[in-house]
Amino acid sequence: MPRRNMRWIWIDKFTEFDSGKRAVALKNVTLAEEHLHDHFPGFPVMPECLMIEAMAQTAGILVGEAAKFQEKVILAKIKKAVFFDYVKPGDTLLLEANIESFAPEAASTSGKITRTDRLIAEIDLMFSHIDQNLAGKEFPAENFVFGSGTSVFESLLRDVLPETIERSEPV
Amino acid sequence: MAMSRDEILQQVQEVLVDALGVDDDEVTIEATLMGDLGAESIDFLDIVFRLEKRFGIKIPREELFPAESLMTDSELIHNGKLTEKGLAELRKRMPHTDLTEFEKDPDINKMADLFTVNAIVNYVENKLSAA
Amino acid sequence: MRFILIDKVVSLEPGERIKAVKNVSLSEEYLADHFPTFPVLPGVLLLEGLIESASWLVRKTENFAHSMILLEQARNVKYKSFLAPGAQIEYTVEAKMIEENVSSFAGVGVSRDERIVEARFGLRHFNLADEDSAMAAVDAGIIENLKTRWKLVGSE
Repeated sequence: MPRRNMRWIWIDKFTEFDSGKRAVALKNVTLAEEHLHDHFPGFPVMPECLMIEAMAQTAGILVGEAAKFQEKVILAKIKKAVFFDYVKPGDTLLLEANIESFAPEAASTSGKITRTDRLIAEIDLMFSHIDQNLAGKEFPAENFVFGSGTSVFESLLRDVLPETIERSEPV
Repeated sequence: MAMSRDEILQQVQEVLVDALGVDDDEVTIEATLMGDLGAESIDFLDIVFRLEKRFGIKIPREELFPAESLMTDSELIHNGKLTEKGLAELRKRMPHTDLTEFEKDPDINKMADLFTVNAIVNYVENKLSAA
Repeated sequence: MRFILIDKVVSLEPGERIKAVKNVSLSEEYLADHFPTFPVLPGVLLLEGLIESASWLVRKTENFAHSMILLEQARNVKYKSFLAPGAQIEYTVEAKMIEENVSSFAGVGVSRDERIVEARFGLRHFNLADEDSAMAAVDAGIIENLKTRWKLVGSE
């Protein structure tokens, strides 16, 4: 299937990655992003829901990697998302996610978004392995979250994951 | 330092208010998690995680809310009701709950009513005193 | 991708509640990535549908007094089912409180009698000129633009 114009990727790269615990990703906000021009015309700001998605991708990859991307990881609940300021083109955001709880059926994460020293948002999420929590709903058996699309997520991890693997090798 | 039952109740209430987005006064001791407070399966997991952190306890899977495996085992369920074996299993899994009313008509659709605020307080109290 | 996540306001009672609908179509570009073999509307865009519905309720209630209406907080946002191309979702948002610069809501999205999303959330509304009077013209431009957008989605 040919690649269309926009991609549903709301982070640019990981800058830190502590497998099973904590990760930090970065997002640049740029006028080149079309959706900004609707939100709002004359004063573009990053929609808060897309900041939530950026955190969901940061935290979701952290949770997914903890299970070596073998499980589907899907956002099941936004426990809390609070915003303290708005974000404009030219801003660079850092998204820090921590795994708070981790079980076979679900994981809970806490997170902060910052711009330089300013706290922009606090976002706490819950992810589930959907086989277990949406029983009865129809969905394909294969891992559509980390399946054919995983290579995109893996490229976000290029600067951080090889280091992690090296560190964990026996001396 | 032991926690009093009242202190446990207060903390459990805070957990449920945060996890379920309900008001303080809705979280009465007899309130059922699903019927009264609107909890669903993802919320049950959220509640377990929060209780673990709040009280520093470990809650093994299905120890607090042991419904799922009971509901799917054909030896334990017959015609939508728990069998004697099913009831025995439930009693074993949920010592923190008063089953007398439920046992009169062990309809699996009514199992959700067993998950009350009171049951959670009992469970936490038992866990903390066993620790 | 155009960032407008509702298509039509079905009903509106100022200060009280709003209902709006959104169609989901395979032509929406992000569906190609979410997910490649299983296209469903991303959860945060379901939340955005609720936010936009609430924002229109605020605008009509306060007669477009503010240019900027942003999400201040969302809590207990639960995703109960998936929404696939070909479906339509109806958002119902009830106002708990609408004051001059803040408002709070409870919202739900339903498709074919199935609950898809529910949330409690709060908005903040302000003008850029509140901080910097030189921005008054920008505020006016945004408000004009949104009034035009209302002609597209509004229910009158």
